[in-house]
Order: sequence, then C-alpha cells, then structure tokens
Amino acid sequence: MDKDQDQEVQCAECVKQKHIQNLQQKQQRKNDQIPFEENNYTHNIRKGDERLLDRRAFMKTMVGAAGVFAVSTLPWGALAVKGLAGGGHQDDPPLRITDIADLPVGEAAKFAYPGKHDSALLIRLSENEYKAYQNACTHLKCPVFWSKEKDELVCPCHHGAFDARTGKPTAGPPQRPLPEVLLRQEGGAVYATGVKHYET
Amino acid sequence: MKRSWRGVILLCIVLFLNIICTQKAVNAYYFEHYRSVIMYALFNILLFPAAYLIYRRERDVR
Ligand code: FES
Repeated sequence: MDKDQDQEVQCAECVKQKHIQNLQQKQQRKNDQIPFEENNYTHNIRKGDERLLDRRAFMKTMVGAAGVFAVSTLPWGALAVKGLAGGGHQDDPPLRITDIADLPVGEAAKFAYPGKHDSALLIRLSENEYKAYQNACTHLKCPVFWSKEKDELVCPCHHGAFDARTGKPTAGPPQRPLPEVLLRQEGGAVYATGVKHYET
Repeated sequence: MKRSWRGVILLCIVLFLNIICTQKAVNAYYFEHYRSVIMYALFNILLFPAAYLIYRRERDVR
C-alpha cells in the first residue's frame, strides 16, 4: 500500500515532467520556425499602394471624371431650357443714364442696365458718338474699364481689351464681344433702351 | 507582360470629348444658342454611360 502510493506520486511527478518537456519542445519548435507560411520573403512589399495607380484605377478615375463633366453641364442645360421657355427677349424699360452736359468727350459714365446688378459703361467717343456696353468681361466677368489713353476698354484681370466702337475683343483671353446697350438721346440726356443680342 | 491599352485610350477620347462639349455648351449659352447648349449637355451626359460601358468591357482584359 505504501509502495503503491509512492509509485503513484512518482508517476504524477513524471507526468508533470513530461508535460513540461512537451511544452518546452513545442516552444522551441515555434521559435525555430519562420513566422510566415511563405518562403519567398515578399511579405514586406506592400502591393496595396501599387494598385492605386494601375490601369484599372486609372480607367476608374476617367469614368469618374466623365461623370463630373456630365453633371457639370446640367445647370447650363437647365438654364438653356429656361431661356428657350422664356421665349424672345422681353423689352427692358428705358433708363436715363446721364445728362449730356455731365459727360465730356472721351469720358465714361457707369450705370446698371437692365438689372441693377448688370453694370455697364457709357462712353462718349466724340461730340456726338456714344457707345455703351455691359462691362462684365466676356472672359471671366471682371469689370472692364474705359481707358482714355489706350482708346479701348481694358480688363485688368488678364489684360483683355475691347474695341470701344464695336465691343469686339482685340487682345487677351476674351472671345465674345461685350454686349452692347442700345442708346437714345432725348432732351439733353442719354437713355438706355435695350441690350443688343448677338447675331452670330 | 503585354497589356491592352485600348480601354485607356478610349476613355481618354471620351474625356476629351467631354471637355470640348462642356466648353462649347458654355460658349453657346452666352451666345444665346440655347438649342445647341441642350445638345451639348445631352451629349455630355450620354458620354458618362458610354465611359462606364467601356470601363466594364475593358476592366478585365489583360
Ligand atoms: S476676366 Fe477679363 S480678361 Fe480675364
């Protein structure tokens, strides 16, 4: 009985030992191993970023850009439909710009026509020659001013220039002429009577 | 590795047409040619599904 007990204790001891040995072996095996399954040592090359600009991603970008362009023309289309639906141009009421006596030859007067935000310029080119244009530059809408020295309308933003007699662009980026305001002289004053529309 | 660049080239053309149409539409608007504005805008919008179809067809070509 005594002997049996002793053996049992011993056995329990050796089981413990075996267990520890096992654990140690396992640990060692783990430490000996390469931590990755593959053996071509490419795991540290990040392919993710590489795919950011491959052919497919580039094509995706192009499709996205096409979408942006499609959406960006929508408002213009809507405005055009509105313009068509509005039909012809309704006549703007005449507006008294200035007295002839207040405008020496070679000078310009500012006014707004037809709306109060459509700024325009009246230029007295000679004794009896008047011209008026809406003076938002046809390039990017900077206000154009009258330069007496250069004898033309000048846009300060990108050095655009317009002929004061026709409104046609003569230099710089603008492509369209300035919209001309039609004028009438009456009783020593100049009146704006309408905006001339493009014929082309 | 030989690749097919057809999709890339086609999409470049589509985008180029997009740019032209946008520019033309804006210009036509200021010249008050409303009908052409609508034409250009419509064409621009149609180009988008076209671009997407090209992408779908060319995506998996090696
Ligand atoms: S805004 Fe007048 S030249 Fe550009």
